[in-house]
Amino acid sequence: MKKSSKSLLAYLIGLTLLIGLFYLSLNIGILDVHSSILSLIGKSDIEATTVWGIRFPRALGAAVIGAGLGVAGAIAQGIFRNPLADPTLIGLSSGATLGTIALISSGASTYGTRGNVAAAVLASALTAILVQWLAPNRGFGLLLTGIAVSAMLTSIAGMLIAISVKPGIQSITFWNFGSLTLLNNATVSMVSPYIEIGIITCFFVSRRMDIYSLGDQSSHYLGVNPQRIRFVAIIGMAFLIGASVSAVGSIAFLGLLVPHIVRLIFGPAHRQMLTFCALTGSIVLLLADLLARTLFVPHEIPLGLLTSLLGAPVLIFLIRLRKASWYSMIEDRK
Amino acid sequence: MIEIKNLYFSRDKHQIFTDFSMTLQPSETVLLTGPNGVGKSTLIGLIGGILRPDRGHIIIDNQEISQLNAKRQAQLRSVAPQRRDFQLAFTVEEVINFVPQRMREDNLEFIVDTLRLSGILGKKITELSIGQQERVSLALSLHQRAPYYLLDEPFSAQDSQATADILTVINFLKNNKKGVLVISHNQDALIKNFDRQVMLALPSADPQAFS
Repeated sequence: MKKSSKSLLAYLIGLTLLIGLFYLSLNIGILDVHSSILSLIGKSDIEATTVWGIRFPRALGAAVIGAGLGVAGAIAQGIFRNPLADPTLIGLSSGATLGTIALISSGASTYGTRGNVAAAVLASALTAILVQWLAPNRGFGLLLTGIAVSAMLTSIAGMLIAISVKPGIQSITFWNFGSLTLLNNATVSMVSPYIEIGIITCFFVSRRMDIYSLGDQSSHYLGVNPQRIRFVAIIGMAFLIGASVSAVGSIAFLGLLVPHIVRLIFGPAHRQMLTFCALTGSIVLLLADLLARTLFVPHEIPLGLLTSLLGAPVLIFLIRLRKASWYSMIEDRK
Repeated sequence: MIEIKNLYFSRDKHQIFTDFSMTLQPSETVLLTGPNGVGKSTLIGLIGGILRPDRGHIIIDNQEISQLNAKRQAQLRSVAPQRRDFQLAFTVEEVINFVPQRMREDNLEFIVDTLRLSGILGKKITELSIGQQERVSLALSLHQRAPYYLLDEPFSAQDSQATADILTVINFLKNNKKGVLVISHNQDALIKNFDRQVMLALPSADPQAFS
């Protein structure tokens, strides 16, 4: 009883924060908005375009993509039973990056098209399956394989950029560090369904992830097929990571950090964790983007740099705060 | 009834079971003993469905185990493995309730009391001693509803009090028409508490077995 009222309170606080940040995101920027943002709906002057044509999709995209990244991070740590697992480490991000860059540099499609999102999701899923297939075991072998494959794909993506004849492809570097600048109403409406599918898929396995955390044998004995959980979870993550990378590039650290914060506050039960990871992910990404574009006006800091810079100290603090459970576990498991 | 018929199983070119057969009846408690490496845990893995026999049959209540999915298998038998990975800081109560709602046996109070877990239900599993963790792990398996229970070395990390508690639980299962197969290497002290003993022996003709 006490526990559920605690989470309800936390949920309300989180929701209030999210709405507050969303409101701020619409109001703050290089252009000062003088009218109330609601009165601008339906108008087409410069203030209305700035608020509803530029800031709104960007804020909405930040909320949706942040939620997706938070959920993907929680699922990655759960599936690999490893507190270090992060969708960027196990190859999902680099697969999506390569997919996007290959598509754009070949001229087959451009940024923010349906083809781009689909290619990124597909490349992300294929990379995850390749890593699974190459890895000698489910423990550190898998993570190391993921890191190696990631490094390889990132290099290939870099080479594609270097040799591309398409003008302006170098601007992809900015995207590659993670930035929400390119988000507009069209991309957000294209990416959001993928993220929603990904989140629903992850929620679908979340109850069984608790049992799964006890190991493959225990899962099987309790009636949960661990291979199936892994497969479904990886497809879910590929939707989340593929779609978000195609829209905003790889945003470092969010997927690693958010689940650790949530787990420390609410405990490890996955169903509840996913809810709060989604909420926290939205808040963190909205806040980071707000800072990225307002801290050094008129310059904008690439978002990925900011999430790393702020996220790393928070993670160090959290690790020092609580040594128990996961942080003492560093041994290879078959 | 669990029927193991003419079972063959090998791993890494090492023959572990050759034409092995045994049964476990409802309301029967069987102690499975034998030297280290003889294949006691392997047998539980085979009955539990995580290993597949090379030849032969493992049949529980007329259903061939290797043809059932994980969920169906879990309705026929419950397994308490020797080790579980307790990495996440779930509470003891949360762990015992991992058993999905529709698969739960209505015995939670008895198990928690008998295994002396009521005082630690709110504690984090990661902060418990090995002996306590194993009793929680056992409680989790016993809360799963099934006609047969397979317990792999449930006594290994327990003191004499806890051993007596676990024997009480095994008797409770028997009185509820459950079949119970228990692995232990410490047969002498325990055998009087079981209906019968099955002893696995190393094939003496195979010099590899002793290496």
